[in-house]
Amino acid sequence: MSKYRMNRQSRMASLALMGVLISLVSPARADLNRLDDSTLSDISGQGGIYLSGDISINEDGGPIQNTYFGSCSDASKRCGARLAYQLKEGGGWMVLDDIRGKFSFEGLTLRVRKIDSGFGGDGALFNRDVLEIGLPNIVRYDSVTFKLATSSTARPTDPGFQQTDIFSVEMQGDVVLEGNLLVFPTGNP
Amino acid sequence: MNRNWLTISLNFLMAATLPGWGHAEMKSLSEGELSEVNGAGIGLVLEDFKFAHGTDVENGQIFRIGGIKNSQGEDVEIVVNKLYISGAGSNYGETLTPVNLGRLVNPYSIDVVDGNDIGVQDKAVLQFAAPHMVDASQGYDCMSASATAGSGTCASRPASADLPQGERPDIGLQLNLTVGDQDTANINIHAQSAVIDGSYIRLWGDNERKQMVGQFKLNFYTPELSINACDQETAVCGSRIVMQNFALELALGNSLQPVYFDVDGTGNFVLEVAAIQQPGAGTIGDDGLRDSSDAATWDFYEDYYTNPDYRSNLTIGNLSVGDRDFGSGRIEGMLIQHLKIETKDLAQ
Repeated sequence: MSKYRMNRQSRMASLALMGVLISLVSPARADLNRLDDSTLSDISGQGGIYLSGDISINEDGGPIQNTYFGSCSDASKRCGARLAYQLKEGGGWMVLDDIRGKFSFEGLTLRVRKIDSGFGGDGALFNRDVLEIGLPNIVRYDSVTFKLATSSTARPTDPGFQQTDIFSVEMQGDVVLEGNLLVFPTGNP
Repeated sequence: MNRNWLTISLNFLMAATLPGWGHAEMKSLSEGELSEVNGAGIGLVLEDFKFAHGTDVENGQIFRIGGIKNSQGEDVEIVVNKLYISGAGSNYGETLTPVNLGRLVNPYSIDVVDGNDIGVQDKAVLQFAAPHMVDASQGYDCMSASATAGSGTCASRPASADLPQGERPDIGLQLNLTVGDQDTANINIHAQSAVIDGSYIRLWGDNERKQMVGQFKLNFYTPELSINACDQETAVCGSRIVMQNFALELALGNSLQPVYFDVDGTGNFVLEVAAIQQPGAGTIGDDGLRDSSDAATWDFYEDYYTNPDYRSNLTIGNLSVGDRDFGSGRIEGMLIQHLKIETKDLAQ
């Protein structure tokens, strides 16, 4: 008798648990109402995104401190970021070295735009949506530098490290960058 | 038994509520299968675009290229006075106006293309391309600033009433060169109404050499490419070297002879176009004719030596210096059969 009760209890427990789990996964039973055209016309999504900001890359130095990398106040060390790319298995490395500086911009915009006219007749032929990136007119460069180099090893701390700096670029001040970059898929997927 | 029933019901529920936990195994794709992948690429068009940067020390603008040494070990410093991309008619960069780059129906594109379609067997090829050339019945003359539809093979259109900004930019670069403590030399290069339609860069990997390889095509057409030098202090400029109707069609590497990129063990950059392989002994007849040769081998070399896509051309309509004309010049059908460029560090 007690065995029967135990079984019955455990069966009841399992059924209750099952009920709870089913109620968690089963869909809600409220009816969905259809929106009419006038209600829909009142709904408006966000028109786009307006971005302003600063992007700093290793302005004072990166997180790594060793014999090669260090703080920008230490003239004997490099404080910029390093990007190395191997072009051949077992070969040397192409390097973008000492990448640092700050870019500031105001008014980079992002939105989806429908193009169906303009562009000397191309707009009507195109007749699709594009992602429009509105360029910010002025980008301010603050001590932006990088070096193009070739190197025998990926990391400066690897044994046998040897590097040839090909040239370095330094940019400072306002850069005019106006217009819209339109991005869209090509072909017929 | 009852415990089993509980376990089974729980297992069943777990499986029902976690449908994402499939048990299928993922398989890697072979090179052949990958080469069949041809997704839609990304099209890029710049609308009303204008770019300018330069050096104006008083206003805190600096654009400098350094770190270069000449063979005597002296520092070479290049100060970029001005670099601009503007609408046509900028008067050598004096008045910058907006320009469209690329067309919505024929944009700049980034794409992964099927190598089998471009002569690179069983490879997926990464391609960066400018607007492609079009049929002469629809295209525009590559040089003329008043070209109309049906006058040439370029897709980019000059400015017109319908398209006031046009799709052909003025591009210019003004440099000051300082070598050691010598006086600064100035050099200015301007291209008017430039078109680079039909240019592309294709990159893929080579299995045998385990190396990055590529193929470049650079088309550059301009009705006027000019070079001059001005005095820094007085701003008086010397004679302008003008190349009118300048057309460069440079093919560096092709599907049979791609360009190999490498950095050697000592850290020097190496760019190489390998020589085409020699025909096997006896595959080409003594008289060199197809009848006496292995047909497939003969056809291969016939295509290599006659295919215009593998060849580079340079045409200058008229070269003038100041008020002197030197007439036209052209280099046609140049085939790069072998090339090896290796950088050397002079400081070592």
